Amino acid sequence: MDLITVTREEGLRFSVRLRDHVMTTDMSVAEGGNGDGPSPVEYLGVASGACLATMVQAYCDARGYTDGDVSVSLTMEFVENPNRVSSFILDVELPRDVPEGDREKLKKMALRMPVPATLRDGPTVDIEMY
Amino acid sequence: MEVVELGGKQIEIDEDGFIQDPDAWDEAVAADLAKTEGVDDLSDDHWKLVNYLREYYLEYNMAPMIRKLCKQTGFSLKEVYDLFPSGPAKGACKVAGLPKPTGCV
Repeated sequence: MDLITVTREEGLRFSVRLRDHVMTTDMSVAEGGNGDGPSPVEYLGVASGACLATMVQAYCDARGYTDGDVSVSLTMEFVENPNRVSSFILDVELPRDVPEGDREKLKKMALRMPVPATLRDGPTVDIEMY
Repeated sequence: MEVVELGGKQIEIDEDGFIQDPDAWDEAVAADLAKTEGVDDLSDDHWKLVNYLREYYLEYNMAPMIRKLCKQTGFSLKEVYDLFPSGPAKGACKVAGLPKPTGCV
């Protein structure tokens, strides 16, 4: 994939660049930042919800379910020592004409989508310091 | 720690506004805690969530998982956040007089 670069702007606010896209990440005021963007861990939630919405919408489009759009609401639960996400909780709103059988199928498919599957299976994290 | 007036009583709160003594909680305290969350009037739906959290905490000495909260009260995630914009942990648990949930970011 293309390179992602994360460079400091000010304080704990960083600029994240990928191709021609620029995003901002910052910590909340309570955590020492200025709250100028989602925190890094919140981007995990963003990725999870966006992945699910995209894949489910593509499925619905391919099958002609057009009575409404897909939308996702999500939140995360955390545990300490070390601080980390313990659960992603996602509610997916489907087009109204998706039949009950497909809803169950979609729920199973959702766990195999790239971001949920990555989170569930725990990828390698390889870090070097220069 | 800071001591503030909630429901006509002097109550200790932490830096995030959670009361430190769950026994100090009553409905008047909840109403004042709700105001700190931008909720001026607690509706029946607010009370449904608050009472569920309260009862769960008193039985298990911990807050329920969010999915359990949704299933048991019948609210979707979005509806929970519509009621308590800070969310179930920072908003609803605070109003219900629970300690700040651990690991809450």
